Amino acid sequence: MQWVQLVVLGLLLGGVYAMMASGLTLLFGVMRVVNLAHAAFILLAAYLTYTLFENVAMDPMISLVVTMPLMFGLGVVLYLILFPRLEASPRYVEMTVLLTFGLALIVEGMLTFVFTGIFRSVRPVYSSTAINLGEIFMPTSQFYASTISFGLLIVLWAVLRFTKTGTAIRATMQNRSAAQIVGVNVRRVSAISFGIGMALAGAAGSLLSFMFPFFPARHWQWVAILLALIVLGGMGSIKGAVIGALLLAIASAFVTDLFGPTWSPITFYLTLFLILMLKPEGLFGAKVRL
Amino acid sequence: MMEGPATVSAPLDVSEEKLVADLLEVQGISKAYGGIQAVKDCSFSVTEGSITGLIGPNGAGKTTAFDIISGIVTPDEGSVSFEGTEVTDWMPHRVTRRGVSRTFQITRDLGDLTVLENMVVGSPTTGWRSLLGSRILQREEDRAMDLLRFVGIDRLAGTVAESLSYGQKKLLEFASVLMPEPKLIMLDEPAGGVNPALLERIMDHIRELNQSGITFLIVEHNMDVVMSLCDTIIVMAHGEVLTTGTPGIIREDDTVLDAYLGRA
Amino acid sequence: MPLLEVDNVVVGYGAGPDILTGLSLNIEEGTAYCIVGPNGAGKSTLLRCIAGFLPPRVGEVRLDGARMNGSRPDQMLAAGVCFVPQDASLFPGMTVKENLVMGGYLIDDRSLLQERLETVYETFPVLAERKSQHAGTLSGGEQQMVTLGRALMIEPRMVMIDEPSLGLAPMIADQIFEKITGFKDLGITVVLVEQNAVKGLETVDWGFVLDLGCLEFEGPADGILADPRIRDLYLGKAMTPREGA
Repeated sequence: MQWVQLVVLGLLLGGVYAMMASGLTLLFGVMRVVNLAHAAFILLAAYLTYTLFENVAMDPMISLVVTMPLMFGLGVVLYLILFPRLEASPRYVEMTVLLTFGLALIVEGMLTFVFTGIFRSVRPVYSSTAINLGEIFMPTSQFYASTISFGLLIVLWAVLRFTKTGTAIRATMQNRSAAQIVGVNVRRVSAISFGIGMALAGAAGSLLSFMFPFFPARHWQWVAILLALIVLGGMGSIKGAVIGALLLAIASAFVTDLFGPTWSPITFYLTLFLILMLKPEGLFGAKVRL
Repeated sequence: MMEGPATVSAPLDVSEEKLVADLLEVQGISKAYGGIQAVKDCSFSVTEGSITGLIGPNGAGKTTAFDIISGIVTPDEGSVSFEGTEVTDWMPHRVTRRGVSRTFQITRDLGDLTVLENMVVGSPTTGWRSLLGSRILQREEDRAMDLLRFVGIDRLAGTVAESLSYGQKKLLEFASVLMPEPKLIMLDEPAGGVNPALLERIMDHIRELNQSGITFLIVEHNMDVVMSLCDTIIVMAHGEVLTTGTPGIIREDDTVLDAYLGRA
Repeated sequence: MPLLEVDNVVVGYGAGPDILTGLSLNIEEGTAYCIVGPNGAGKSTLLRCIAGFLPPRVGEVRLDGARMNGSRPDQMLAAGVCFVPQDASLFPGMTVKENLVMGGYLIDDRSLLQERLETVYETFPVLAERKSQHAGTLSGGEQQMVTLGRALMIEPRMVMIDEPSLGLAPMIADQIFEKITGFKDLGITVVLVEQNAVKGLETVDWGFVLDLGCLEFEGPADGILADPRIRDLYLGKAMTPREGA
């Protein structure tokens, strides 16, 4: 396939990946937590979107208006219940890994119980059409999804760059104790960041619901991909997450074209492995002391 | 009544002191971390049979010197010799087996090993063969128990080390530094956070062990301890050795006081 | 009434031993203090306790008579107590200007914030020059200026600075101490912890000498170093070595 086409396909997919990865890396940057449940919550949002679509025929893109605030609220609540006590623990890193792993299992279990293991997908009208720009074709669903993703990423950037809370978040990511001494309530910032991360997961879920079929255990595949993305970009760097996502998505498009779709996940795993061996701080990350 | 440890090298005849080479010789060591020079052309020696104190203001390079001697850090320049053998590039466990044992400023994370297990963990027999053997060799267990008895915590042998009080952990660390039958013991701030009664006890143990021939090199900030325990004091400042002498001399030395106050 | 009272405070880190072992001292408004003492005395620990990073296990910290135990650092700041810690407390990815603006985080009034920023630029011309430079690329002395400038942004009642001259060349350290003297002229109460006792005491009015977690003695700054107790403290009391040592 012509390489421009592949790059375009990569970008289309990469946009959504970028949004997924941004939420995850934001969480890491603010709270030093690798949220293994991130993909599970994306799935949760996907199922929520599915329910809305099946029962009230709500277009999945519209349902963002529902899933995002809901997930934000869920994120804030979850943070306040689970994390403050852990913060003082010397085993903070290990505990948060176990905690989020457990959360992922719980979410998966609940989803299996309610929805069973049947593959689900949301099939609005545009899920099977394509847009043609000259010789390039773009699946409509992916086009819409990545446009919305990029839009949300721009909003995220603007919030972080221009609002007071956003600046507080950036400050906390760069130096938590310095943020405290200039008066930032880091606990509140952490809660809000968790909320934002979850809101982005919610958006991703709604968008992915009409891009791929999904089932409760699907989140494990996505977690692996997400980890590759944020490690490549540099954990804690949102810019890195976006660039990493786009690069890897494009790379996997090429791999799929050359070797077939079963080989595409390897792009991510191989990258994860190589980066950790060669340049563990990623493209844009600072050396992190966990 | 405290008894000495079961097996220790024979007491040194005082008249031989002047004829033996210094037990430990540090020559011209330098080490920089990032852009910061921690030690610079630093040289000193420790006489066999002494209790030598290593003092100096914060950032003088004392801990770096310790790390270099015990093999945790390799110097950029210079050498370290123990009993005439150069040990500069040796790995820490090899340095320990050669006869130099050290404690750390902050009691390391002892995990869920029992007190006894902590004692034998550094045993030289750990390796491939002991995968199949019993957990703890009898003679090591005997020695460990002797040492625990020496410091007075033998009744805690089966207790999980994590649950010990701070003072008890310090005693455990003290006992475990004796396990490899060292000739030179390096103590890093043994008085840190220790109550006066326990401190007296530890100082008595040090004197007792020194009587039986073990040499001590101690980094300590508590000046009362240093002045009453050590027979020789090495003063470091800005990564170099400022001066050496007996406690009486050091105490009256204005350059030493200046170094601490920032006049240097 | 003293601005700040430390009343018989016992403090330690985590589950570790007590670092401060019943420390009491008073800080009067408008005076500049320097805390000196041998290593392990607990000087930095005292500042961190007052700043809200370390709650007292026993005893009280009072500001204007009100008990402040357990307050968070941002709450202490809102009460006018600003803390400049020992290690780099800058935001390395932000410019000098952004760092300073972060200093005014608690100020809601944008024009007031701008005013304060101008004042800081006047007091620290170096910062005005480098306002768009990333803080992580500054020299040690310049970074320290940023942290001091940042402290000025909220016009605190009290500034506590932990080792202002650490890692700085003597000439640069002198510049920093000059700036700190400037704080005093603005009516801000200054509390320094300084390894370099000579320089630190030169800059202030009153000295506290700490040892092993307690206040050993206090007095006018220029008299502290001449006090014979200093030698005892730093180099141990005159004792003959015990037998057998």
